[in-house]
Amino acid sequence: MATRETNLINPNAEIVASSQCLMVNVAAARGLQSVLKSNLGPRGTLKMLVGGAGQIKITKDGNVLLHEMQIQHPTAMMIARAATAMDDEVGDGTTTAVLFIGELLKQAERFTSEGLHPRLITEGFEAARDMTLEFLDAFKVPQPKIFHDRETLVNVARSSLRSKLSQDVADKMAEAVVDCVLSIAVEGEPIDLHMVEIMEMQHRQASESTFIKGLVLDHGARHPDMPTSLENCHILTCNVSMEYEKTEISSGFYYSSAEQREKLVESERKFTDEKVKQVIDFKRRVCQAGDNKTFVVINQKGIDPMSLDMLAKEGIMALRRAKRRNMERLALACGGTAVNSFDDVEPSVLGYAGRVREETLGEEKFTFVEDVQQGKSCTLLLRGPNKHTIDQLKDAARDGLRAVKNAIEDAALVPGAGAFEVAAYRMLQRRKSAVTGRARLGVEAFAQALLTIPKTLAENSGLDVQESVIKVEEEQERDEQPVGLDLTTGETFLPAAEGIWDSPSVKKQIISLSTVLATQLLLVDEVMKAGKAMGKPAQDMMDEE
Amino acid sequence: MAKSMNLNAAAGLKGMLKDGFKTYDGLYGAVFRNIEAAKAIAGMVRTSLGPNGMNKLVVNHLEKIIVTSDCASILNELEVQHPAAKLLVLAAQMQDNEFGDQTNFVVSFAGELLKLAEELLKNGLHTAEVVTGYQRAYQKTMEILPTLVVRSIDNIRDAEELKTGIRSVLATKQFGYEDILSDLVVQATLTTLSPTAKVPKLNIDSVRIAKLKGGSLDQSNVIKGMVILRDAEGLIKRAENAKVAVFGCGIEAAATEAKGTVLLKSAEELLNYNKSEERKMEEVIESIAATGVKVVIANGSISEMAQHFLDKFEIMVVKIQSKFDLRRICGAVRATAAVRLGPPTPEEIGECSLVEVREIGGRKVTVFNQVLDEDTTVATIAVRASTENVLNDVERALDDGIHSVKTLFHDGRLLAGAGAVELELARQLKAYAEEDKGLDQYAIRKFAEAFEVVPRTLAENSGADATSTIHALNTAHLAEGGKNIGFNVEDSVPFDAAAAHVYDLYATKFNALRLAVDAAITVLKVDQIVMAKPAGGPKPRSGAQDPDM
Repeated sequence: MATRETNLINPNAEIVASSQCLMVNVAAARGLQSVLKSNLGPRGTLKMLVGGAGQIKITKDGNVLLHEMQIQHPTAMMIARAATAMDDEVGDGTTTAVLFIGELLKQAERFTSEGLHPRLITEGFEAARDMTLEFLDAFKVPQPKIFHDRETLVNVARSSLRSKLSQDVADKMAEAVVDCVLSIAVEGEPIDLHMVEIMEMQHRQASESTFIKGLVLDHGARHPDMPTSLENCHILTCNVSMEYEKTEISSGFYYSSAEQREKLVESERKFTDEKVKQVIDFKRRVCQAGDNKTFVVINQKGIDPMSLDMLAKEGIMALRRAKRRNMERLALACGGTAVNSFDDVEPSVLGYAGRVREETLGEEKFTFVEDVQQGKSCTLLLRGPNKHTIDQLKDAARDGLRAVKNAIEDAALVPGAGAFEVAAYRMLQRRKSAVTGRARLGVEAFAQALLTIPKTLAENSGLDVQESVIKVEEEQERDEQPVGLDLTTGETFLPAAEGIWDSPSVKKQIISLSTVLATQLLLVDEVMKAGKAMGKPAQDMMDEE
Repeated sequence: MAKSMNLNAAAGLKGMLKDGFKTYDGLYGAVFRNIEAAKAIAGMVRTSLGPNGMNKLVVNHLEKIIVTSDCASILNELEVQHPAAKLLVLAAQMQDNEFGDQTNFVVSFAGELLKLAEELLKNGLHTAEVVTGYQRAYQKTMEILPTLVVRSIDNIRDAEELKTGIRSVLATKQFGYEDILSDLVVQATLTTLSPTAKVPKLNIDSVRIAKLKGGSLDQSNVIKGMVILRDAEGLIKRAENAKVAVFGCGIEAAATEAKGTVLLKSAEELLNYNKSEERKMEEVIESIAATGVKVVIANGSISEMAQHFLDKFEIMVVKIQSKFDLRRICGAVRATAAVRLGPPTPEEIGECSLVEVREIGGRKVTVFNQVLDEDTTVATIAVRASTENVLNDVERALDDGIHSVKTLFHDGRLLAGAGAVELELARQLKAYAEEDKGLDQYAIRKFAEAFEVVPRTLAENSGADATSTIHALNTAHLAEGGKNIGFNVEDSVPFDAAAAHVYDLYATKFNALRLAVDAAITVLKVDQIVMAKPAGGPKPRSGAQDPDM
């Protein structure tokens, strides 16, 4: 590498400058694009990630891939970070964003290699972006009543999930995901997806994952004599220690005979026993004999064996050490409030569940709190025969939930299956003439880059790329309908009629974020990396070991 | 050298990742590699399939020697590293967890599917086409399978019927002993059933296996109740028709949670203190004895003083370390474990018709035997065998047997065994492939062929000529009424498996098929592998080699 001024300042620094720098950036973006390309869409293939300890992950979710791959090249890392940040924001579209950025740079490179200044291209990009966003607003289909339209929501969830899971599992999950969101959502209020507990159980098969109207806790009662299944349950959620607590200061007993010691042992227990008795009294008050009511205590703190024994004798099911977040959810799901003391408890603090039952899976226990009264919190129960299946489901479930949430909050949808991209491409080609000067080339590049999405979809389905895209384009020209590409047959169809929907906010994010990032990368003319100040680089030391 | 920013385009993805990452992609890089690994593992366990399957001697990382033909155990000890092979292992483990049987089928069948897929891929078919073909064939299989049920066990309390159901399961693990073992399993499981419940539920946990070295397998027997592999603590070694008290704590002086200090002011107090301790303990033991209790079971330590008084009041003491065993014994004697030392309430006291210490094979064991026809929830199979290895292998076989009984309780349907079901599925699927016009037919045909791995392996392992055997079997299946023809491992000839009472469990087969197909399809669908640098841990040993190897 040629010595440059900066090297005088820090001889260890590594520098890539001017045209070479642009090449590196473009190559990195395209490299990343080619990696993720095969994973796009419902017919994309899977990638297997093997972690440091040999753990297996199988996925085609772009977000997961970028997180797990530990990319080190600075440019690629920047794109990966931006794309995953988008996932945090809207929950989907990671792969699309990476592909789009790569394609934007690839298109731009065509012109820069002919000597066009990157600045002019970026101007074109920005103009094209504004036009596309404007077009998106006009193109999207408003769905003012989507909150009550379960079928459409299921379609939305299905479109999102099918690109991450196999078809039959995706279809089952779509239903479950929509049930979850509808159960916690209140019309007109923002949706808090944290209120959906995602619980995993490793058994049976992935397609048996279900929505549970209530909560599933990943622990069970710790006493053999406690009931394992109850109906018509009062639920008492509390945060009271029902075990012996050590004093904070150092303390001890002095005694000089066994009788005295027995008394001390007794007095020690008394404090805890009192609390347990309060619970038992309370239970007797609310559960009269013959009214078929049962009582469940869910405690955030501990309950010691003796207290458990007392509760078990009363037929109370008691769970100890519940998770904090579950306490919150329990109150939302079953009603009632969590109490911090058993003094003067009123029946109004109790929640209600139609059924509480325990299920044992090998060593692990799960408690199902079902048929709850209020249901402002619910559980998505994921099942799968092995860890990697469950992980895949979990990542997909998150995205599915987000997709439904977006649809409700946007109250609008965009026809999927490449329909929007092709339509936007046609729009840009038409309006290109309005842009003056060399920036027009940027618009041209942008329009071409948009087509990468339908092209990749076609490619992954084993279709003829050019033919498919042209077919869609012609069809759109003919009757001005949002026509997309059917990936199973290779023919054109109306995605809206088939229920293939994308979220406008995801599309919007992809377009604006990709443009910004591509613009930034194009305008970089020098990359500097500071040299390691101390001794040898880490890798060398490892090799000598 | 730290990675340069000058992207090496030729290095592709690897150029962008952290050092030490490895990536494999494409058909040759990833798919064939994975298939190779899966084939290797399937080829290895295949020789252990069926009654005539060979044993494997596995020396695990703790230098423990395991001799078995049980696929799940072999795979567990192997610590498979290759990710694709691991997928097969995971599938087998899942099958083992849920059904205990047919694990070898999962691996062999998945391996065979992949092997045949490789041929298709090399002939130029796209992975997606193979996958859809396999999926369609799988769906068709699931349609055919219920029609192949040859028998159904409806009365699960009928010992004879249950026995016929699980005989073949046990035959594959311990060939030659299947009659003895199935007898033991059925006897033990039926003992634990509640006689009143309409739909009895089997709790696997309540059938215990006590391994006793010495003697031979036919000396094994089923004991109604529990066998604890340790001596009783005190002098009393036998109690009949005894009341039993169970304590979830130790039998010793209660201690305070907070630190307790004995404060003595004079020598007199010192003497008195010990006396008061003794008095207290005597009181407690006496009060226990007063309830008529003859046997005490403790979950914790028993102080010497307590032991003294227990002997004095002629109470037999058994110490049980494990909390789970304690719970089981509670079930066996129908007692409730008390959490505090003191006289138990009448409801807490259990009963046992005979508690005694026996010496079996030089080892003292305490037997809790419910001789009378009482409703106990625990049964123990006392297994006798010559060596530790045989014992362990028999234990695994029994476990599989018990699991199978449980499966039969849920779903009593049986399929013809000895490869008959596989051959029939293969025949019908081939016909299905003939009807198909599209590209899928090739994959469907291969899927059908894959089923032949079972009869072929049975034949190979029995020393018969596999090719001619398969031919003979296939011909037999084409004939009228030949759908239950399987391979007789004893005479190496085709025979009617259903007529000879060789069965496979429907539910087990169903699940095994599902897992195998799932694993195979997952392996096929992966087109890229990204491997992180193995993290931490000691470096693999080099140099110090096993002298024999």
